[in-house]
Amino acid sequence: MRDPDRYWNPYLAGVAMGLVLLAAYLFVGKGLGASGPALRFAAVGLEAVAPSHVGAVPPLAHLAEEPTPLANYFVFLGLGTLLGGLVAAYTAGRMRAGVTKGPTASLGLRLGLAVGGGVLLGVGARLARGCASGQALTGGALLSAGSWAFMFAIFAGGYATAWIVRREWR
Amino acid sequence: MTFFPFQLPAANPQVAMVAAVLVGFGFGFVLERAGFGNARKLLGQFYGTDMVMLKVMFTAIVTAILGTVVLAGVGLLDLRALADGVSSETFLWPMIAGGLLIGVGIVASGYCPGTSLVGIASGKLDALLAYAGVVLGQLLWAELEFRGPIARFHRSGAFGHVYLYDLLRVPAPALAAGVVLMAIGAFLFGEKVERMVTKAPAGPGPTARNRVFAGVVAFGAVGLATLLLPVATAARAVPAGRIAPEELARRVLSEPWKVRVLDVRPMDACTKERVPGAECTPPAMLKDLSLADVSPARDLVVVGEGDLAQAPAEIRAYRGRVLVLDRGYEGWRAWALTPPALPGEGAAPSALETYRLRAGIQSALTGVKAAPPPPTPAAGGAPVQRKAGGGGCSG
Repeated sequence: MRDPDRYWNPYLAGVAMGLVLLAAYLFVGKGLGASGPALRFAAVGLEAVAPSHVGAVPPLAHLAEEPTPLANYFVFLGLGTLLGGLVAAYTAGRMRAGVTKGPTASLGLRLGLAVGGGVLLGVGARLARGCASGQALTGGALLSAGSWAFMFAIFAGGYATAWIVRREWR
Repeated sequence: MTFFPFQLPAANPQVAMVAAVLVGFGFGFVLERAGFGNARKLLGQFYGTDMVMLKVMFTAIVTAILGTVVLAGVGLLDLRALADGVSSETFLWPMIAGGLLIGVGIVASGYCPGTSLVGIASGKLDALLAYAGVVLGQLLWAELEFRGPIARFHRSGAFGHVYLYDLLRVPAPALAAGVVLMAIGAFLFGEKVERMVTKAPAGPGPTARNRVFAGVVAFGAVGLATLLLPVATAARAVPAGRIAPEELARRVLSEPWKVRVLDVRPMDACTKERVPGAECTPPAMLKDLSLADVSPARDLVVVGEGDLAQAPAEIRAYRGRVLVLDRGYEGWRAWALTPPALPGEGAAPSALETYRLRAGIQSALTGVKAAPPPPTPAAGGAPVQRKAGGGGCSG
């Protein structure tokens, strides 16, 4: 029987994720990540409408100048992540269109905070040279000092905010 | 010899593409099955009801640490080279600021960039909007990060590649064992918080959890045991890499504080001429440097007379990276101290660039240091004539 409320044991899921990360290290020589493709999409999109502006912004020009900016490890990794999520959600009976929110939160508040929070994720990932998977997980497992400082900062920022937005989730 | 990481994908773009999709598939599948596609489940971490983020992320980190440390301990993997290639350098202040922002962003949006992809795959509109926000935020910061004071902050706290085992000056397996103990402590504490917040009684003994705990402790012990292997001593000391004269010239000129050059030729040859900044350390002197105990922050470059197949054992004991200069001092003399051949008509711009660089280095290293030709003494050794008068302040 498929039970949409039944998830893997978190420790076993953690071991599985660690093995995926280890395979990425050993067989590809790279890590995991999800924020990298976002800027590539932005650079390619902006290049199509305002190429002169892209040329004036070095971080974007640097990406747009590559012969094929989207033929990149992290873009294909993101594609695989979508596919893996799709198969897992479908086979677990969890694929349902909708919005995740607490019972008393309004739809507008939830969707507004989703975009606003996403912007903070994007800025933070740029500042920290990686997101929770690209910096905390990948660098943390290689014992990089910066990644560990980053990881503790994530938890600090999260706990500081949790009470303020409790209406969104509780 | 190390076997990992395999270089196959780098050589073949199709294989690399397929490998990336496969790794991503595993990542997305596990994220979904762990419950990370569900923002409310993930957020249980920050309300104390379900410490799933701590458990999954930290177990994943511990698993990958133990895998790499054990492989490195038996000599199959060069841990530092892997880490230098995969992880980014440390920029402490922007990393802390970015971490705080991401913490706020996770709680506000309910996702981190990776889990939003899985949320999108599960059909969640809020996940799609969160990823759109990520694209927008990345674009916004890319517009700002290179400007004035923001650029200075973006590059502040730069420590290069620095690892916890360098900071604490312990071997990597000892640090890994410490992380295992810390993780188990954090898991037990997290479960206690869950019980306090949800007021649920402790369930029956969670056997899966205990097996995972036993597994990571066992692998942590295996990692520690590799410290005792005689073979591991050689393996832990990173096998010597190679460095070309061109690269060495670049490094001693542009970042001399990151490299230490040891010249192992006989003392008289080295004192006569050497690579700029090199220390003259004939083999007999090496043990006095106690390289096994000094900070491994700088890369060591070994210069022999000709090509050295392997660095001396005292140098291999160094815990940082050891590089052997290609063709030794012969190679250096041929590249840096010999005038380069003039590039022909219509040479490629890159050939011209190489010529300019070599000519510049050659004149800097030979022209400046070479003494001007001695003046030929006048026949008969006439005494130096003093000025009779006129001009000068003594006049």
